[in-house]
Amino acid sequence: MRVTADKLAKAYGFLWALRELDLELTPGECVALLGPNGAGKTTLLKLLAGLIPPTSGQILLDGEDFSRGAAALRARVGLLEPAGHLYENLTVTENLAFFTRLYDRNSAARAIDAALAHVGLGRRAGDYVANLSSGMKCRLSIAKWLLLEPELLLLDEPYGVLDGSGVDLLEDFLKDQCAKGGIVVMASHHVSRVLDLCERAIILSQGRLTFNETKRQPWPSFDQAFREFLPHGGA
Amino acid sequence: MTLLRQTYLVLCKDLRLELRRRDSLLTMFFFGTLLLFVFHFSFDLVPERVVEMAPALLWLAFLFTGTLGLAQLFQAERENHCFDALLLSPLDRGALFLAKTGFNLILMVLVEIVVIPLFWILFNMRSWNLLPQVFLVTLLGTVGFCVLGTLMSAITLRARARELLLPLVLFPLMIPVILATIRCMEEVLHAGQIGDAMPWLRLLLGFDVIFMTAGVLIFDWVIES
Repeated sequence: MRVTADKLAKAYGFLWALRELDLELTPGECVALLGPNGAGKTTLLKLLAGLIPPTSGQILLDGEDFSRGAAALRARVGLLEPAGHLYENLTVTENLAFFTRLYDRNSAARAIDAALAHVGLGRRAGDYVANLSSGMKCRLSIAKWLLLEPELLLLDEPYGVLDGSGVDLLEDFLKDQCAKGGIVVMASHHVSRVLDLCERAIILSQGRLTFNETKRQPWPSFDQAFREFLPHGGA
Repeated sequence: MTLLRQTYLVLCKDLRLELRRRDSLLTMFFFGTLLLFVFHFSFDLVPERVVEMAPALLWLAFLFTGTLGLAQLFQAERENHCFDALLLSPLDRGALFLAKTGFNLILMVLVEIVVIPLFWILFNMRSWNLLPQVFLVTLLGTVGFCVLGTLMSAITLRARARELLLPLVLFPLMIPVILATIRCMEEVLHAGQIGDAMPWLRLLLGFDVIFMTAGVLIFDWVIES
């Protein structure tokens, strides 16, 4: 899948959250989306996920306008909310079965059990999601997207709730996604960690794209942009 | 086929959640029966007057209990950003509308199955043989209520005071349904058959079909705007 954002802009009332953003994402890419609070990272992720319509500009997925929101295109995009997008009063297995059927993916009990075992939730399959910790919910979200196989996977601050093994699990999953030709876009304030994983960094500041480069070593342009636009971070 | 399959999926999920939580059904059931008891102790009606008042009193009870159900209709989706999860998925918005309408309809029918016979008992109504026709007319009215109610519930989904706003926008639009249902029920209770109320029945059927079709077609726009 190839993703193109063309002159993308989003305003909430009189406030412009994103202005005139041009972006190209190619298969197999893992992109770090960085920026201070209020820079427009979550807005960009929601636009790419098709959850909100752009005020102007458009998003093309393989040349097709995504803002029209065709079901077939939506099935190819995933948004991993660390502890969200799960029904609290359904069990772990019921949640996965519901979403896999909704996406018309493999909903066989064996596939679900395998995904749960992979994320370390094999013994919690019958538990209600409400009884899981935030970290476990995040692991369940990973299992969900493992089964739903999106071609474009968006992540908003995925590290906050995971323990060490959970972070390893997530990173292995993301590497695997990219190896299979998928695109991963990850917004996070854990700059050093995402830069280890991603090949490209994008920095947003006040709704504008201020930096967009492929990773290299040394990387003086990133260091300068980092100092300028992410003054309170820690690389 | 996809539309029906997705409708079935979401409806089963909602029914499963309701069986676990029992929030909506229990609240609607208790509120509906409570209203009947309030009516019973408030009005000292002779049997002839009861026949005249029954349709209006019953529909007053259904309107209030139904509105309680509508306020809870998207509760599961409001928790944990699950509504976003549905919007993100390839789920047809029409299927979501049909599933939510169907879910609310099932809840209301379950409440009506208890409330209507209870009304007959409390007010000493003797016309038990007319219950099937009363149920039929009530069902048509309930479909209209659920169709329009689901649309309005979705429109007010992100509103701040949605519980207050919902009845304010819903009740004026419900006037044709309420009027048609009450007229049909009056005719059934007086004459023992629908007879002269056929124009009202047609209006009711037309309303159900038009708003059901419109709902499936515009729900996409309703939830995304």
